[in-house]
Amino acid sequence: MNGTLGSLREIFWYEQAGLPLLLLLQLLPLFGAAVVFAFKERSTAVLAGKAFALAELLLAIVVVSRLQPTSAALQLAERFAPLAYHVGVDGVSLIFVLVAALLTFLMTLYGMSRGMISPGRLFAVLLLAEAGLVGMLLTLNVAWFAAFSALELWAVVYLLRRWASSHAETQALARFVQYQAFGWGLFAAGCLVLGWGHAEAHGGRWSFDLFDLIGAVPVGKFQTAAFYLLFYGLAVRTPLFPLHGWLPNMAQHGLIAVAPALMVGVKVGIYGMFRFVLPLTPVAVEYWQPYVVGFAGAGVFFTAALAFQQTNLRRLLAFAVVSHTSLLVIGVFSLHEAGIQGAMLLAANFGLAATGMWFIVGFVFRRTGTTELHELSGLFERIPFLAIAFLGFGLAIVGMPGTPGFDAAHLILEAAIDQFGALLTVATALGNVAAAGFLLWAFQRAFLSQAKSGAYDVDRTLPMEYVVCGIALAAMLAIGFFTEPWLHLTETASQAAAARFVR
Amino acid sequence: MKLPLLSLLVFLPLLGAGLLWLLPARAARWLTAASMLATLALGVAALVAYNPAGARFQLLEQASWIASLNVHYRLGVDGLSILFLPATALLFLGALVACWNVVQLAVRLHCSLLLLLQTAMLGIFCALDTVLFFVFWELTLAPLYFLLGRWGVASSSPQAAARYFLIMLAGGIPLLLVFVMLAASQPVPTFDLTLLLDAQLPRSTQTAVFLLCLLGFGVKVPLVPLHTWLPQFALAAPGSLTALLVGLKLGAFGLIRFAVPLAPAAAQDMHWLLAGLGTVAILYGAVGMLAQTNLRLGLAYASICHVGLAVLGLASYTAQGAQGAVSLLLSFSVATGGAFLLLEFLRQRTGSTDIHALGGAAKTMPLLATGFLICGLAGVGMPGTSSFPGEFLLIIAALHSHTGAGMAALFGLSIAAGGFLALYRKAFFGPVTRPEVSQAQDLRPREWAVLVALIVMIAVIGIYPGPWIEIVRPAAEAWAAGLGR
Repeated sequence: MNGTLGSLREIFWYEQAGLPLLLLLQLLPLFGAAVVFAFKERSTAVLAGKAFALAELLLAIVVVSRLQPTSAALQLAERFAPLAYHVGVDGVSLIFVLVAALLTFLMTLYGMSRGMISPGRLFAVLLLAEAGLVGMLLTLNVAWFAAFSALELWAVVYLLRRWASSHAETQALARFVQYQAFGWGLFAAGCLVLGWGHAEAHGGRWSFDLFDLIGAVPVGKFQTAAFYLLFYGLAVRTPLFPLHGWLPNMAQHGLIAVAPALMVGVKVGIYGMFRFVLPLTPVAVEYWQPYVVGFAGAGVFFTAALAFQQTNLRRLLAFAVVSHTSLLVIGVFSLHEAGIQGAMLLAANFGLAATGMWFIVGFVFRRTGTTELHELSGLFERIPFLAIAFLGFGLAIVGMPGTPGFDAAHLILEAAIDQFGALLTVATALGNVAAAGFLLWAFQRAFLSQAKSGAYDVDRTLPMEYVVCGIALAAMLAIGFFTEPWLHLTETASQAAAARFVR
Repeated sequence: MKLPLLSLLVFLPLLGAGLLWLLPARAARWLTAASMLATLALGVAALVAYNPAGARFQLLEQASWIASLNVHYRLGVDGLSILFLPATALLFLGALVACWNVVQLAVRLHCSLLLLLQTAMLGIFCALDTVLFFVFWELTLAPLYFLLGRWGVASSSPQAAARYFLIMLAGGIPLLLVFVMLAASQPVPTFDLTLLLDAQLPRSTQTAVFLLCLLGFGVKVPLVPLHTWLPQFALAAPGSLTALLVGLKLGAFGLIRFAVPLAPAAAQDMHWLLAGLGTVAILYGAVGMLAQTNLRLGLAYASICHVGLAVLGLASYTAQGAQGAVSLLLSFSVATGGAFLLLEFLRQRTGSTDIHALGGAAKTMPLLATGFLICGLAGVGMPGTSSFPGEFLLIIAALHSHTGAGMAALFGLSIAAGGFLALYRKAFFGPVTRPEVSQAQDLRPREWAVLVALIVMIAVIGIYPGPWIEIVRPAAEAWAAGLGR
C-alpha cells in the first residue's frame, strides 16, 4: 500500500457509467414496492413483483460489470451533500448486493409456490425489505445505514405480524422486536458517538460519513465506546452468539422461509463490521480482537452442541446459522486479507445455502404440516430432488470442495494459521465438522429413515420447486467450481481492509 | 493438440451421469455399463500411452483454474498411479454388475452416484495439484454417503453413512492444513505437486506435514487406531460398495504419493512410526479376523492386515518397498474387490454372509465357492496369485529394514491365511442345514463373466508378473531416489 493508507479514495459514477447506477439500484425496489402496492391484490401484482425482483438482479449484474475490481477505490460513487447522501461500492459490497437480489428473486418465486394470503401485499413488503438491504449495502454513511436498517427491520416485523396466525408466532415476534430494537439502539448510539467524536475533533461539525470519520475517531474511550456499540449492535443483527436469542424462536414460529432469509440470508451484520467497524475503530478492534475471536470460537461449539439438542428442523437450522456466523466473525477479526476475503465469500455462500435449506424446509412443511424431526421420515423416496438439494446446501455450509464454501473456508484457515496458530484453526475446522454432524443427522432422520407406516402422503416435487432449488443449487455449484471471478472481485477490497492493521 | 486422455478418462463417467437423466430410466443400467466400459477402454489406452522408461510424470495436462490462489487444474500419471486407472475402471464395472438387479428404486440416481464416485476416484489418482486432489478426495464423500445411506443393506446404514462421512471429513482437515502449509512454505505459494516434490522444506515443517498426512490418510487406509469405521461400514454397505472402498486403497496411495515424498527427512526420522503402525495393523487385523463369524467382517479385517503389510514395506523407503506396496495394492483391488463382490452375490442369494447362516454353500454354488477361494487365496498372498510378487517384495524389504517387524508380519500373515481358510471351511463346506443355502442358485452368466475376468487377471499377473512390476519399477526407483537413498 502507498501513502494513502488509512484514507479512502473514490471514483464518481460519471467516470464509469452513463447513469447513476447505484441510485437506480436503490430506487428500483422502492418503485417496485409502490407499483405492487398500487396493484392491490390483482394477479398482476404478483407478476410485477417478480418482474421487479428480476430487474433488480439484472441491474446488479450490470453494476458488477462496470466495476474495476483491481482498484482499491470505492466506485460508482454518488454524493448529495444536503442529505449527506453518499454511496459507493467495491467488490465486497457487490457480492452482498448480488446475493440480496438473487435471494429476493428466489423468494418471489417461492412466495407464489407457497400460495400465501394476500400475495400482493407480501410482495410489496418484500421489495421494501430488499430496498432496505440494498441501501445498507451501498451507503457510505453510518446514519443512512442505521436508517435503512430500520426500514428493513420494519418490513420484516410487518411480515411477521401480518402473516402471523398463532399465539406462538406473536410471542416470537415480541422477542424479535425486543432484540432487534435493542440492537438497533446500540448501533444508533454507536453512530452518535462517532458523530460526536468527529465534532470534538473538528470544532463542533458533526458528520456520519465514512470518508470524514476515517481516522477522525479519537483513540481512547471514544473509539472503545464506538466499537462496542457498533459491534454489539451488529452482533444482535447477525446474530452472533450469545446474542442470538431471537432467531430460533422466529425460525420455529415465524414465516418459514421468507423472514429468516431476509434476516440472515444477507449477512448485513458481517458486512457492517467489514465496512464500518474495522476502518473506523481500528485501534479498538486490534485491542479487543482476542476476546471477539475467543467468544466466536466458543460460539462455534456451543451452538453446534445446542443444534444437536434440537428436535425441530427449523430450530436446528437456526442454530446452524448461529454456529457458522461465529466462523465468519473469526474470519473478519483475523484482520488478515485472506481471512477477510474468505469471510466475505463465506457470508455470501452461507446466505445462499441457508436460504436454500430454509426454502426446502418450507416445501417440506407444506407437505407434512410439521417440521418436528421425529414426525418426519422417508422423504427421500418421495422428493429425491429436494432431498439432494438439501444435502447439497448442507455440504456448502460445511465447506465441501465444489461449493463456494470450500475456497472461502480455505482462505479463513490460511488466515487463522497465520494469525492465531494451528490450535484455534484446527478447533475451528472441527467446529465445521460438528456442523456437518448435525446437518447430516437431521438429514438422516427427516429424509433417509424408513417411512413410518400410516405416514402422510407426500406430493412429488413441483416444477416451481425444481426452479427455485435448481437456480440456487446451480449458482452454488457454478461459483464453487469457478471461484476465480469472485476471488478477483473481492481481493483488492479485502486487501485494503486488512492493510489498516499491522501484521 | 494432443488428446487430453486423462481428462476424458476422469470426466467420462460424469458425462455418463449427466446423460442418464436425458434417457428413460430403463436404459440407465445399460448406459452406465457402456460408460464404464468406455472408461475401462480409456484406462487401458492411458496405460498403453504411458512409457515406463520416460519422464516421471506423463500425459500431463494443465489449465488455469483459480489463478489468484495459484491453483491449477493439473493432471498426470506416473508408474505409481497409472495401473490404478484400469483397475478402478474394472472394479466399478464389477460393482455395477453386482448391484444390477438389486437396485430397483431410483435406478438413475443410483447409477449417476456410482458414476460420480468413479470420476472422483479416478481424479484422485490423476491429480497433480494438491487442491485438485483434495477436491476429488472430498468429492467421494457425498456419493458414498448416499449410496450407503439410501441403498445400504442394514437397518443401521444411515448411521454408518453419517459416521463414515464425519470421520472422513475430520480426516480431511489435516490434509487441507498440510496443503495450505506446503503452499505457504514456498516463496511463491503453489499447489503444484511436481514443484512441491522438489522443494526442500525445513525439518519442523516436514515433521508437521508427515504427521498430519499420516493422520489424514491413516483414517482412510485405515491404520489401526483409526480403523473403527471399517467393520461397521462393511456390515452396513452392499458388497459392491465395500469392494470399491476397500478394493481401492486410496489411503495407502495417499501415503505413497504425498506423505513420504513430501516430507522425506521427517519420514525417515519416523520410519519406526510407519513401520510400527504397519506391524500393529498386520497383527491386529489377523487376530481380529479370527474372531469374526461374518465373512464380510472377516474380509474387512483381512484387508486391515494386508494394507498394514504395504505400510510396513513402505517404511523401508526402498524402491523394492514402494514397488511391492503398489503391486500389492493393485492386486488387492482385484482380489479383495472380487471377494467382496462374490460375497455380495452370496448375500443376495442367502440373505446373509454369516457362517452360522451358511454351511455347505459349496454344494449348491460351486462356481461362487471356487471364485471366492481363488480371490481369498490371492488376498492372503498365495504364490501363483497376483498378490505374491508384491507381498514377496514387501517382506524382503521389511526383513531388510525392520527385521523384527518383518518376522512379526510373517507371523501375522500366516494367522490371516489360517483365519481365512477356517472361515471358508465353515461357510462353504460341511452339511447344508439352511433352506436358503440348499435352494440357492449358482452364479448367473453376467456374474460369471465378472468372476472370470477377475480370476484371469489374478492368475495372469500371478504367473507372469514381469511386465506389471516393470511398469512400477522406474517410478518406484525415482520415488526412493527422491528420499535421498
